[in-house]
Amino acid sequence: MTDIPLGAGTAPPAEAAPQVAAASEVEVDRRALDASIADFAGSNGAYYASTFHRIHEAAGGVPLTFNGAAALLGPIWAAARGVWSFFWGFLLLEIIAWVQIGRGAWGDLGADDLAQADRQADRANQFLADADAARAAGEDPARFETMADNLMRAAERSREAADAAAADALAILLTGLGLLLVLKLVQGLTANLVYERQYSAWRIAPERVPSGLRRTNVLLGIALTLAIAPLTIYKFTVESPLIEMTTFPADPDHYTLLARWLETQIDAAAAGGAGWFDTIVGALRSILNTLALALMGAPWPVVMTVICVVAWRSAGPRVAIFTAAAMAYIAFLGYWEIAMETVALVGAAVIICVIVGIPLGIWFGKSQRAYRFAEPVLDLMQTLPAFVYLIPIIAFFGTGNPPGILATIIFGMPPVIRLTALGMRGVPKSIKEAATAFGASRWKLLTDVEVPLALPSIMTGVNQTILMCLSMVVIISLIGGGGLGKVILEALQYAAKGPGLLGGVAILLCAMVIDRIVQGAFRRADHKK
Amino acid sequence: MSEPAVKLSGVWKVFGGRAQEAMSAIQSDGLSKAEALERYGCVVGVQDASFEVARGETFCIMGLSGSGKSTLVRHINRLIEPTTGRIDVLGRDLGALSPAALREVRARHIGMVFQHMALMPHRSVRDNVAYPLEVRGVPKSRRWAVSDHTLKLVNLEGFEDRLPDELSGGMQQRVGIARALASDPEVLLMDEPFSALDPLIRLQLQDQFKALVERLGKTTLFITHDLDEAIRIGHRIAIMKDGVIVQIGTAEEIVTNPADDYVREFVQGISRLKLVRAHTIMEPIESHPGPLNGGPRADESADLDHLIDLSVGSEEPVIITDGGAPVGIVTKATLLRGIQGGRA
Repeated sequence: MTDIPLGAGTAPPAEAAPQVAAASEVEVDRRALDASIADFAGSNGAYYASTFHRIHEAAGGVPLTFNGAAALLGPIWAAARGVWSFFWGFLLLEIIAWVQIGRGAWGDLGADDLAQADRQADRANQFLADADAARAAGEDPARFETMADNLMRAAERSREAADAAAADALAILLTGLGLLLVLKLVQGLTANLVYERQYSAWRIAPERVPSGLRRTNVLLGIALTLAIAPLTIYKFTVESPLIEMTTFPADPDHYTLLARWLETQIDAAAAGGAGWFDTIVGALRSILNTLALALMGAPWPVVMTVICVVAWRSAGPRVAIFTAAAMAYIAFLGYWEIAMETVALVGAAVIICVIVGIPLGIWFGKSQRAYRFAEPVLDLMQTLPAFVYLIPIIAFFGTGNPPGILATIIFGMPPVIRLTALGMRGVPKSIKEAATAFGASRWKLLTDVEVPLALPSIMTGVNQTILMCLSMVVIISLIGGGGLGKVILEALQYAAKGPGLLGGVAILLCAMVIDRIVQGAFRRADHKK
Repeated sequence: MSEPAVKLSGVWKVFGGRAQEAMSAIQSDGLSKAEALERYGCVVGVQDASFEVARGETFCIMGLSGSGKSTLVRHINRLIEPTTGRIDVLGRDLGALSPAALREVRARHIGMVFQHMALMPHRSVRDNVAYPLEVRGVPKSRRWAVSDHTLKLVNLEGFEDRLPDELSGGMQQRVGIARALASDPEVLLMDEPFSALDPLIRLQLQDQFKALVERLGKTTLFITHDLDEAIRIGHRIAIMKDGVIVQIGTAEEIVTNPADDYVREFVQGISRLKLVRAHTIMEPIESHPGPLNGGPRADESADLDHLIDLSVGSEEPVIITDGGAPVGIVTKATLLRGIQGGRA
């Protein structure tokens, strides 16, 4: 019953199989396993075969084996055998032990305190001199004398502390030695276990898992150890290491030159493309003005009623009531105009994101190559902190609402592109094939099959884009964008807690209302399908 | 009208980035498949397929997964372009068609049914069936009428306004068949249409489909991995292995005279009762020692099942006739051997 069929995988299948009646009768095929282990270990194959056997035979608990080479050589053994996790772990731990040993053996442990004692003594002498001068001038020297006295006493305490620290050196040295001994022991005991796991991994993927004893690995391990250990130990044990060890020798001129060069480039580009940039700003402004006219030009009761009805129709009575309450909050606090400006800003950004983003997403969904080129750009658009691109936007487009919309678009566009592409790629091939088989042209295929089936994903993308755009309203107020973001920015500048909180809640309510309405509309579209 | 509905001549399909190079190497140097894979990284999907399917015939292509049968059938509506070779459908060379003409052929002359139905989930059953007509620009009233009529053919009345997801697998596949029939095409391509269904539904659909195709007189190419299905449905069967068509013949020819061991292994488990006919197993009249004392008579096209019925009722051998004249006899021993298939 204790017979574990360890070698089952390596046993020749046809020969032994018929005679064996039950799993308990299966013989362990030592030879095949040994050959495989020797093949894996390279040099010292016999040793590893026997230790791995011991590990394989263990029915429970941790099998005890001791690898002398691993204990003695530590990380170098691990490097030679290609067990890199073992190498890095124990290299760091051994360095810690050696730092302790170094501090105990040659580190100047009380130096800090001694230096302080010297400084304090100097000051005390100064005060004594001052006292003499005061006496000579016929003034009362007592004030200086007390201070000198106090400082002298402090210097004495510092000196005592330094002596104590120096006395600790032996203890630190012993701790370091103890730690090193324990580490060696642990390495010796765990090396074979770790190496056996590597052997198991090697059997699955022999081409990817390192095996055998490679000279390149040995050299690499030694080189890494030499590069890391001595400098680290030096830095931590010597009282005042060389300045080159602590700070990188950077030349400030490089920075100045590069920054100045970039600045002239941006200025030149801004001057050169001024016509273009003005056109873009003009287009953005006209979209914004149209939306603003609708939202702010129309009488507020009309706008409120329309929004409430839209909420009701798309998301039901509960969202309508919530919308009414949110609008009441905004209106009673006098935020109505400003909130509508925010909605117009976000609306303009979202419209452009959708108009540009969905076709791009469709393209990226169909062309793997285009997507590979676009993906880093999309990543950049989402991860680059907004403040970084606000600066060039100011240079090119100036300040105000249109550049704010542009910044919002940069941040808000990626989700709709990504999710459209994802949706396009998720359309089952079989349905596309069927439509083609019935004579659909590429355009029919797109409009009849691909876009309808990708629609849920596209809708999710649009919703994400809306929320991302809303999250930009505060940031764009930094470059002169208006709306609720400006309220928050002003409150921030004067540390006005009350106005800041009220404005923040207004933004939150705007976001929640838009999100609920849009999600409700999508859900209804889903149900209809 | 004797020209075949579908004709393939020397069709090869080589997959891979360097398919053309590999193809010319195969043709000029006689490169083997393994060599093509090794040297060009190309996989041979279909190797030199040539056959004709007559009008009104049901032609089954049988093979295991990976044998290239689905690839082969996709050539017939050019969902897959052949690397070399010529495909004629209804007398037109598919390779010479412009994209618009190809779409027209697909929409009007070729219907296809897929293993996983491939219905559009966002359209009603009716709109799914009407899709080939919609592609052709048929007005809505007309295509709805045709669609409803076609759904009636597959017994799906009353489900026109449902979405495909609301239907069972068997019903969905009937929608798939209706869609293939909607534009009244001459050729039907069936890509393992019943494989994903459970056995009872499959049998039912096979029978319904066979009856329907016979009634409508469609030319059908039917892909299956199930020899039983091929025998039930097909007039002729092509057996494919690793991209090569190993044997083409009627069910009886394949069962009684397999081309190689591969085919032999396949046909072993097939019941011969309804397949093998009297003329295949009968012995010459002279081989009977005594006189024939008026044993039961059967036509030479009678199957083994019928011969057993006759043989059970009489001690005498069954007399096989051709147009009334006796041409051979079947004794009980011959009959048993015939069922066994040990001796044809």
